[in-house]
Amino acid sequence: MLSRLADVLARIDRRVIYLLISISVIIPTLITFPLPVPISPETQALYDRVAAIPDSSTILLTFDYYPSTLAETEPMSVAALRQCWRKDLKIVTLSTVGLGGPSIADRVMSTMADEFGKVYGIDYVNLGYKANYQAVLLGLGMSIRSIYPTDFYGTPLDSLPLMKDLDTYDGFEFIYIISDNGIVDNWVGLVNAQYGAEMGAGVTAVMAPKFYAYVRANQLIGLLGGMKGAAEYEHLVGVEGAATSGMGAQSLVHMTIIGLIVIGNFAYFAGRRKK
Amino acid sequence: MNHDVVHFLELTIAGFLTLCIFSFLYKDNPFYRLAEHIYAGLSAGYYVGLIWHSVIVQQLWVPITQNGEYSLLLPGLLGALMFTRLVDRLSFLSRVSIAFVIGNTAGITIIQQLHGYVLPQIGDTIRGFGAGEFNALVGSLIILIGVISTLIYFYFSKEHKGAFGVTAKVGTVFIMISFGAHFGYTVMGRVSLLIGRVQFLIIDWVEAFNSMIN
Repeated sequence: MLSRLADVLARIDRRVIYLLISISVIIPTLITFPLPVPISPETQALYDRVAAIPDSSTILLTFDYYPSTLAETEPMSVAALRQCWRKDLKIVTLSTVGLGGPSIADRVMSTMADEFGKVYGIDYVNLGYKANYQAVLLGLGMSIRSIYPTDFYGTPLDSLPLMKDLDTYDGFEFIYIISDNGIVDNWVGLVNAQYGAEMGAGVTAVMAPKFYAYVRANQLIGLLGGMKGAAEYEHLVGVEGAATSGMGAQSLVHMTIIGLIVIGNFAYFAGRRKK
Repeated sequence: MNHDVVHFLELTIAGFLTLCIFSFLYKDNPFYRLAEHIYAGLSAGYYVGLIWHSVIVQQLWVPITQNGEYSLLLPGLLGALMFTRLVDRLSFLSRVSIAFVIGNTAGITIIQQLHGYVLPQIGDTIRGFGAGEFNALVGSLIILIGVISTLIYFYFSKEHKGAFGVTAKVGTVFIMISFGAHFGYTVMGRVSLLIGRVQFLIIDWVEAFNSMIN
């Protein structure tokens, strides 16, 4: 009986697993249910640091991510912008990712600017993308204008009021990196180590384990890890968005996967005993 | 055309392409390949346009022709030499550009790795011992044991036997814990992407449809 069950379980079609995962995502998306969002120390540290920035200061906020990871990264950007603009911080943004980064920045910044009544050129500037991230990150420490003579829309930087007295990292109170790739290594290794710029990061879950070491070594002030990090930040900011609503599905899928792992192990060991 | 209708059409195309990609989970099919080819073609075309505009025009052509920055002719020439690879007889010239890129990247990366990674991380491995707090001390001790035993695991010039072998085995435990953490986070990341697509299909598309019909 047990071995027959093990045989059946071992032969489950992979498409049945896809179906189970799909159902586990679709149901919580249709019927949302509240889940507690415990705040990790890394998220709290990042939030507290941004909260401590003097009002009306200027920060650099990056959109170093591709459209494929929007589910994790865009909620981070939105929550970060919400916190920054409540403090009336001035925001300069750029992207080291050509495919999507600058246009995502354009869309997210302009949508949020409408909500907060912010004006382009005075409250925020989108520098856009430039190729060769290492040269860009190093060059910005010497002269922003040498790398970005114009902004994303082709406007010369000198004609933008926010950029008038800003030409190196010294002008930024804080650097807030939101990324889905290894560029954080370069921000830390080139900009934090060589220019002493203070920074924190929000990254996709795949990248997060690697970057906790930077937080421990104070190379990053704080870290948001994946959709959970984004949900924590939304919770701190007080506006629950896409990440928080996705956490129900996230939890249910994890339960399904744990169940499948248990079933797989049961089938494996029961099958081995039979042999 | 009404803005809401255009938005709905955009989302409908994106939704259709999303479903085309997901159809691969059942089996390979022409819809999946159509979406895959559109994605590859669009990405390549967009990237060429982006580089042309943001690098060639903005950082080479405009500074030279409008600002008289003739020193930029040198990097321009190095870039052009890369295309000599298309001509067998002249392809050796591309080595000049390649040598420049390799030398430049190596110089930047060595400093970056040393000052941004190796030295701060080594420092942090032992910093906790000076903190005087019991928890910090235990944490630092675990990290120190993990770092040393993992390094020993990757030392292959001595046979993994005796005390050396036991330390390497301890290193394996730390490596496995690290792999487990990475795997767990990777699952969470991939599930997040699926959630994003499902939210797009169920929430965004339906909202766009409702705005259009209202």
